[in-house]
Amino acid sequence: MVEILQNVGYGFQVAVQPLNLMYCFIGVLIGTLVGVLPGLGPAAAIALLLPTTFKVTPVSATIMLAGIYYGAMYGGSTTSILVNIPGEAASVVTCLDGYQMARKGRAGPALGIAAFGSFIAGTFAVIALTFVGPFLSNIALEFGPPEYFSMMIVGITVLTYLSSGSMVKALLMAGVGLILSGVGMDTIGGKYRFTFNIQSLLDGVGVVPVAMGLFGISEVLSNLETEIKREILTTRVKNLFPTLKDWAVSIWSIIRGSILGFFLGILPGGGAVIASFASYAIEKKVSKHPEEFGKGAIQGVAGPEAANNAGAGGAFIPLLTLGIPANPVMAILLGALMIHGVQPGPLLMKDAPDLFWGTIVSMYIGNGMLLVLNLPLIPMWVKVLKVPYYLLYPLILLFCLIGAYSLENNVADVFAMLIFGILGFLMKRFRYEGAPLILALVLGQKLETSLRRSLIMSHGDFSIFISRPISLGFLITAALLLIVPIITQRKKLSTLKED
Amino acid sequence: MEKADRASGLFWFLFSLFVSYESYKLGLGNLYQPGPGFLFFWTGVVTAILSLIIIVTSLRNRPPDEAKESIFVKWNVTKIVLVLISLFLYALLIEWLGFLIVTLLLFIFLLGVIEKKRWWFAVSVSLLVTALTYMVFEVALQSQLPKGLLEFLRF
Repeated sequence: MVEILQNVGYGFQVAVQPLNLMYCFIGVLIGTLVGVLPGLGPAAAIALLLPTTFKVTPVSATIMLAGIYYGAMYGGSTTSILVNIPGEAASVVTCLDGYQMARKGRAGPALGIAAFGSFIAGTFAVIALTFVGPFLSNIALEFGPPEYFSMMIVGITVLTYLSSGSMVKALLMAGVGLILSGVGMDTIGGKYRFTFNIQSLLDGVGVVPVAMGLFGISEVLSNLETEIKREILTTRVKNLFPTLKDWAVSIWSIIRGSILGFFLGILPGGGAVIASFASYAIEKKVSKHPEEFGKGAIQGVAGPEAANNAGAGGAFIPLLTLGIPANPVMAILLGALMIHGVQPGPLLMKDAPDLFWGTIVSMYIGNGMLLVLNLPLIPMWVKVLKVPYYLLYPLILLFCLIGAYSLENNVADVFAMLIFGILGFLMKRFRYEGAPLILALVLGQKLETSLRRSLIMSHGDFSIFISRPISLGFLITAALLLIVPIITQRKKLSTLKED
Repeated sequence: MEKADRASGLFWFLFSLFVSYESYKLGLGNLYQPGPGFLFFWTGVVTAILSLIIIVTSLRNRPPDEAKESIFVKWNVTKIVLVLISLFLYALLIEWLGFLIVTLLLFIFLLGVIEKKRWWFAVSVSLLVTALTYMVFEVALQSQLPKGLLEFLRF
């Protein structure tokens, strides 16, 4: 306990350095902006802005990039409530009741409770992160290659399990990501694989250009055909502070959302998006007046908004303590850290305490900044929303182009991004998801190394994965996740046939 | 969606076969000492099976009026293709013409040709955006964007 407090104190020293405060501020501001803007999520934003952090220390860079993620969770709610367009995926549910509240003239309290709920949940998640992080790091120090292998398998399976579309397609995409991770030099034998004598493939397929293509370029291409319609509420937003009655109704939703969000965030494959949906479902279930949901129930805003912020905080745990990203955003952040020469994992806390604790404490500060920043700036965000799409998309494209080029001042990265942009666009058309691909691409090399090391360790005996209890536990979880949907689908089919 | 699934399933099936073949050539090694192609050979096998599942399910759910279905219906293909061509040209020309010129041209093209805005609007916005992004990325963040033809200006 004393040690943790000492560490937090050290983190404060790092985080309040003027430069780091500035990067924290820039991060949450940009995060809120991309949260407000539909068609540009935190994943693409982090990928885009990564090259701008090359000139600063890894600590400042991480503080800023982390700020973009949790900042986006705040910003997303604003557009959901005022325009009925979620700025990013984690705010989709907020539209249901938030927009209805706004139509009834209660946009102010909706925005207010979203901001306060986000603040409470965000702070809760950071406190929990402070205590759970070191604990998990210690456990993870005991992990050998088989445990890492099985854990990554669970991570990828959870993500495919939770994918909104077909699970077969999601698994297929994870496979493709894994294959792409094999391009370049084999880390164990030093042999080049799948490079086909193309110079730019020797270093492998970069996560960042792929992410920019799949989440940035492809989004613009899809939006080019369908004009985004926006009907912004013209009424003035007033009374941002929720009344006592609003508080009484929503405080438990916020608490439930915070706890639920945090744990779903830690789960590999989980994160803010799932947390917000789960929270809405629970709030509707426990409410005495479930019929009010969808018609402007304030709990329907408070719960999910708290959950997505807590989920965003929780998602940092597997990344910082195990080196395993829980979702695509964390996958890109992992890629970013590795470019900065930082290897996240159980040793991070010891090797780079300034980065570990500095980032965590900066999140306390960032959450405070977001609360102060958000409420007064809402009118400005509404103005940002009025920027027409014909101006917005050329800008997004330009930022992608500059971002990809300045990764290594190499045109090959730009081409890679454009090719994956086309692929991503087609994937959307054909209903394939990009998230499992990115996650598998990031984890691929580690997955392969730990598989091959495990087999070398056990002299080719696959039972090493099930004879070690932690590894066995992970694999059982993965197997259940794969089997359960098949069984439930069978049941559905048989009931359909009976009908 | 069924026709689209069959097409994409077939694509991924061929892709998987190719990957497995290439991995086999790399060397699978043995279980004691897995080779460089080991994991990807088996990943290719699994993705091949998954793509077959996609194809088979789409064949089973074949809708009766499939003849009318087309993947390319309602696509605003021209606009997307034009934008993509301009992006590829941007990447091809950036090192030769330099950041300032290609960015200006790209914006004039997107605003003036694709979005059909009035020319003075397209040109002035393009000039403004080019100048601002240059200030942010080159001057403030020192991204070392290519100068290309304007190298001689040494700014």
